[in-house]
Amino acid sequence: MKKKRIMVAMSGGVDSSLTAALLVEQGFEVVGATMKTFCYSDNSGPSKTCCGLDGITDAQNVSELLGIPHYVFDVEEEFTANVIDDFVAEYSTGRTPNPCVRCNSNTKFPDLLEKGRQMGCEAIASGHYVRITHGPEQDSSLFRGMDRKKDQSYFLWDLPKTMLPFLHFPLGSLDKHTVRQKARNLNLITADKPESQEICFVPTGDYRDLLERKLPTKHPSLQPGFIVTSEGEVVGNHEGFANYTVGQRKGLGGGRGDPFYVIEIKPSTREVVIGTEEQCFQPGVQVGNLNWLTNTPVANSELGIQIRYRGNDVPAKILSIGQSIALEFEKPQRAVTPGQSAVFYSGDQVIGGGRIHSALQREDLAARN
Amino acid sequence: METIYLDHAASTPIRREVHKVMTRTLFETFGNPSSQHSSGRKAKATLEKSRQKVANALGADRSEIYFVRGGTESNNLAILGKVQLDLQKSEIPRVITCSIEHKAVLDTCANAVKQVGELITLAVSADGNIDLDHLETVLKMQPTIISIMAVNNETGLRLPVKTIAEMTRFYNVPMHTDAVQACGRIPIDLDDMQVDLLSLSGHKICGPKGTGILFVRKGTDLSPMLFGGGQEKGIRPGTQDVAGAVGISKAIELSVDEQENECIRLAQLRDTLEEGLSVGISNLKVYGKEGARAPHILNVGIADLDSDALLANLDMKGISVSSGSACNSGISSKSHVLKAIYNNLENTAIVRFSLGLSTTLQEIQETITTTQSIVLNMKTH
Repeated sequence: MKKKRIMVAMSGGVDSSLTAALLVEQGFEVVGATMKTFCYSDNSGPSKTCCGLDGITDAQNVSELLGIPHYVFDVEEEFTANVIDDFVAEYSTGRTPNPCVRCNSNTKFPDLLEKGRQMGCEAIASGHYVRITHGPEQDSSLFRGMDRKKDQSYFLWDLPKTMLPFLHFPLGSLDKHTVRQKARNLNLITADKPESQEICFVPTGDYRDLLERKLPTKHPSLQPGFIVTSEGEVVGNHEGFANYTVGQRKGLGGGRGDPFYVIEIKPSTREVVIGTEEQCFQPGVQVGNLNWLTNTPVANSELGIQIRYRGNDVPAKILSIGQSIALEFEKPQRAVTPGQSAVFYSGDQVIGGGRIHSALQREDLAARN
Repeated sequence: METIYLDHAASTPIRREVHKVMTRTLFETFGNPSSQHSSGRKAKATLEKSRQKVANALGADRSEIYFVRGGTESNNLAILGKVQLDLQKSEIPRVITCSIEHKAVLDTCANAVKQVGELITLAVSADGNIDLDHLETVLKMQPTIISIMAVNNETGLRLPVKTIAEMTRFYNVPMHTDAVQACGRIPIDLDDMQVDLLSLSGHKICGPKGTGILFVRKGTDLSPMLFGGGQEKGIRPGTQDVAGAVGISKAIELSVDEQENECIRLAQLRDTLEEGLSVGISNLKVYGKEGARAPHILNVGIADLDSDALLANLDMKGISVSSGSACNSGISSKSHVLKAIYNNLENTAIVRFSLGLSTTLQEIQETITTTQSIVLNMKTH
């Protein structure tokens, strides 16, 4: 019988390496693929992140060991337009983006799926820690990974629903320890490779450089402005609101008692509003750019919502739903950050998600209830 | 599955004749050519014999041939070596090149003037011509160096190097040509083609990797870019790779000797491939066809098809081709060469077939059939 051909997205890390190995074991005809997402000559020196040139070399090495073909796809132009430009646009309007979400749904999976189809691949696999089940009639469901510490479902909410039937996530039921162990047993050179922590196109973790290169000089988001309290009192200066994220601690110096945190960024006045820990908590959230992986839920129903990657879902009630969705948390949540993904769950199942538009205050909720 | 290798513009398999003389040299002529004793003298004699061989093949004098470690190094040395002389005289360098050069020239030129200086990149028309009026204006500015390739590595397009060399001579501007793809594919006679500097690579003509030649015409001064024991008259210090020199000189000698007949054969094979593909694939675009082409490259575009997927499909059927210049990790980047000349490259699969000594008619016929069937399959998917 002819083997089923499957394409594996290989970053050069241990997870995707083992994914490829497991699929070979399971009898698939595996084709490895790595996407070259940005210009490496701009980023000389050793790379800390997985998708750098060393990552490509590692993916090639693993593929050679497994005896599978491996191809590198240059998606630099698409990646720049879909991911980097969006990242810059979000920060420049006082929001905090999730570029990995954007990459998965706008570049990585659609591109691999399209190329894979043209290469006779029946499915695409990746090393994400999520589970997927495929029912009859193209009915697929996405779940959190079994290893809750590694669960990456937060980054996949924006995949078009029609893509799910073609996706495989062989690591969904494994934990990281097991993955490394299996990789060692198979002598994969990536077995003990450290985790990638930074955004691939900001290997230093300092995105200000990137914004300065991409934005016009004197862009408002990079200009000095005032740090104010929620009452409007000016308590300091900043060097550009693009440097801030809602919820981040902002020391004021001068021993002003309690720690302060960024509670809002106001691009129109270039003000960064700070407040106490208590003021960081908000009772509700407005989420836009919605994508549903199941039937769309209805108003007044409850769901779980996760508002940052390192977190968990919390119960919330749908106040209204349409092009955007308004939710009231069961308990107020800390640092509702515009631009970040809000992912909706029913138990472990991902039912959809969106981008946080704004926090909703008590008075907003009162007006809706 | 037998591999059909059609990426000879990227690299070539070593020839048996070359392998044979190199192996013998590695074992028997291991001495340092700079040593005074018999082993050294023997190595030196072998090295100089190789130098003479290269000079004979190119119509040059032995004293004008320098052994370097590859095509990239040769291009770098020619361009940076000239720019360095200007910098030493506190003059602001001005470098001229054209838009379809290999990165080994384009990036070198860009870096040469990065701190101080000016780079002028001339446009090239689809038929390989450069606006001579514009060129004249530029030459009157007395630039440091002009570097124009002889044969383009992606399309096989020939550039009018001889004509340009005559103009540069008139204006007394040093001219370099990257002839890496030209050697063995078009006649090179340095007596006739008055360039001052010329670069060759060993592994593109069935010679060893890591070997290259820089021709420096008598009277042309050049600053070294590496420093050390003064080998190669101080232009390229470092103990010479005698076996490499033997290998590249043999490869050059053979490829020049066989050039006339081999080019007729390659052109026929290329035309067969081109016709065969055109019959089965509608709207096949052939890049470089507007001008004179070297016979070993056929670069085609197929509309509404994914380049990466097509190349991968060909590879999985055992056909090794590329979409242009292979750079780091074999990643094919979108071609700056085609972009400089053609519009409407979006959604077009680009494939460069490059033929060589080992290419047979049967391989070409198989390639036609396989490519047609893959394209048909992809189009109906």
